Amino acid sequence: MDLHDMVLFWWESLSLFGRSCGQCEGDQMDMVGDKDKFELENRNEEDPMNFAAPSPSPSVDWRFGGLVPTGNPMAVSKGSTSMVVESFGPTLWDQSQTANPQNLGGLFSDINNVQNSASTSDTLGIRKGTPAAVVSLPSIDHKTFDMGWNPTSSMLNLKGGGGIFLPGNGMLPQSLSQFPADSAFIERAARFSCFNVSGGNFSDMVNPLESMGGTNYFRGGGMMQEVFGGNGQSHSQKNEVMNVDEAFKGVSMTVGEHEHEHGATGGGGSPLKNVRSHDEAKQGIGVGGSGPGNDSDEAEFSTAGGQDEPSVLEGTTGGERFAGGLESKKRKRSEQDTESDLAKVGPQQPGESAMDDTEIQQNGDQKPTATTNKSSGKHGKQGSQASDPPKEEYIHVRARRGQATNSHSLAERVRREKISERMKFLQDLVPGCSKVTGKAVMLDEIINYVQSLQRQVEFLSMKLATVNPRLDFNVEGLLAKDILQSRAGPSTLGFSPDMPMAYPQLHSSQQGLIRAGLSGLGSSSDLHRRTMNSQLTPMTGGFKEPTRLPNVWEDELHNVVQMSYGTSATPNSLDVDGSLPPGHMKVEL
Amino acid sequence: MRHPSSLKQEFLKKWILGLQRCGFSSKKSTSIMERKKAIKLSADLAMASTRNGTACWSRALIANASRDHESKILAEQILGPESQSLKKASSTMPPVICSRRIRSKKILKRSCSSQVRRVRKIALPQKVLSANSVAKRLVQKRTNILKSLVPGGEYMDDISLIEETLDYIAYLRAQVDVMRFVASATEVVNRNSD
Repeated sequence: MDLHDMVLFWWESLSLFGRSCGQCEGDQMDMVGDKDKFELENRNEEDPMNFAAPSPSPSVDWRFGGLVPTGNPMAVSKGSTSMVVESFGPTLWDQSQTANPQNLGGLFSDINNVQNSASTSDTLGIRKGTPAAVVSLPSIDHKTFDMGWNPTSSMLNLKGGGGIFLPGNGMLPQSLSQFPADSAFIERAARFSCFNVSGGNFSDMVNPLESMGGTNYFRGGGMMQEVFGGNGQSHSQKNEVMNVDEAFKGVSMTVGEHEHEHGATGGGGSPLKNVRSHDEAKQGIGVGGSGPGNDSDEAEFSTAGGQDEPSVLEGTTGGERFAGGLESKKRKRSEQDTESDLAKVGPQQPGESAMDDTEIQQNGDQKPTATTNKSSGKHGKQGSQASDPPKEEYIHVRARRGQATNSHSLAERVRREKISERMKFLQDLVPGCSKVTGKAVMLDEIINYVQSLQRQVEFLSMKLATVNPRLDFNVEGLLAKDILQSRAGPSTLGFSPDMPMAYPQLHSSQQGLIRAGLSGLGSSSDLHRRTMNSQLTPMTGGFKEPTRLPNVWEDELHNVVQMSYGTSATPNSLDVDGSLPPGHMKVEL
Repeated sequence: MRHPSSLKQEFLKKWILGLQRCGFSSKKSTSIMERKKAIKLSADLAMASTRNGTACWSRALIANASRDHESKILAEQILGPESQSLKKASSTMPPVICSRRIRSKKILKRSCSSQVRRVRKIALPQKVLSANSVAKRLVQKRTNILKSLVPGGEYMDDISLIEETLDYIAYLRAQVDVMRFVASATEVVNRNSD
């Protein structure tokens, strides 16, 4: 029984690892392992996603190995032999309901990493142990194995996803170097845990207790399947798990903290609205109008309109700060000679004002006025800008001290500042971008977000196509829900004639659970967003909560969606909260 | 400032209307891919029409849909009577781009005449120069990817590309939300009717 030997070997190594932890508790071991997984992820970040055909066979063994700690190694391994091709995640859930999912996941992502990092030394020992076990699995149909492997292998390649679930690694002690093999196991298993759950299209096997998480990830899994079908970009694959997570959160959460997002968008929109230069004014209104807004946004705009001067001040402040951060380096050079700057500004101004008063706000405000109070400079600008109408077609740029006054460089600077200003708005819109600086990374995030949204649309349209064999949407029923969308009242009102059955199905306890779960999710993600150091427990709490929610997935979502529409909480926040923590994760890495 | 829920409502109505115009309900059962395509197409067009041609990507979407001969008929069906104005709007897309270039040239001219000529070149060390070029290449690569993602993005320069992306993201979010909503609603309805 080579398989049995391999299983025992794995189990021993794992227990060794556990003992080495000393006073580590069970879940601490997971955390430690997860931290190591992060290390490995960092190291393997640039590894190409190579999945050779022979590599799957050792992975099968590792799958068996991963099943060990669930309690009944032999039964599990036997049971999973047939199922390993289709899905190993669900079998885990079936076998060990009480086992820590992250623990199991950690084991599995360890397995996956064996294949991913063929060159790392810590896997060599593992591989040596497996050749015997490889021979002992001749019964597996190679063809089905490959087929079943393709989606899972590409899922396994996504290292970023595991990191999402285990953010607290940075805080844990770095004392695991002496057990690289075992920690690699757990890391990979932890990484794979998300894929187990994300492989939710094996949802028929999912434990009913885990059905919430399973079906949540079904959407993500479906999307991931699409992703893997058509996407060969390795770098974007890494981020797709973040999108899975975002989708998960988006699906399971409707109550979220969206004021922050919308407030930021509104704040970002109002400076643009106040910009007076010709083209920017036009575009600003267009952008502001198209941005996701709600009552808070409208309130901000109304206040901005109502109070002209302070709003302009606010706008200039916002606009200044946007580009000010980027220009801080340049400004430091000009800070040396502030008085001469002021003197230069003086004689220049009459000359400038003679020609025209309009200037781009960020450019005008970034004149070398380091010593002058910012507000005074802005007031000066306000006077000139408030007076002249935005009719000019030219954008006047003043060269800063120490800057080349070449026309090309000036135009280049204008262009750069425009781009950076708009990137700021995108930062507010795209979740997970608030802490990211630099064009390339932010563009990456934006690309991933757009791709994920597009895939979601595809997936949802496919889903609608399956649900409606005749494409006759119940127009009356759907339009009746529009009443909810217009915030007519709480969700307890049964509006639509064909919906009366939905509400009685939801018991009050379930509704309470839903709200508690959602609020818990929302609070946990919100906490996570606010704190740079992500704690593991809120994360796990946030991710464990869905599993505690009752099994009635569709009714929950429906009710939740109704509530969200009814309470004017835009479900946009779903994506925000869902993908913001992963964005945090990525940044912290 | 558009209300998100009103935007979604409008989108939903237009979408359902467009689907009804497809005329699927009366025919025999069609394949799933056809249905999916119809759904997606009508959703796209509904969203694009709500913009009324103010956003570049919406015009590009409609233009693409009308160009594809396979979806052309569907698109015309869905768009219905207002297709004429939309098509006109979509055809005027490329000239919009040129105006920006003209404006930037004017900036150059004005700044040349008004500024003191003082060119000071700061020589950066070789490492920084190569890092800059690497960063530029990365940004350029990703910009190209983004251009391929956003409909109609290939013709735009960087600045307007980012604005269009903003708009497009907002639209995609609204679309996803509405579709999710409809999917869940129909599922509940189906379950109740069973």
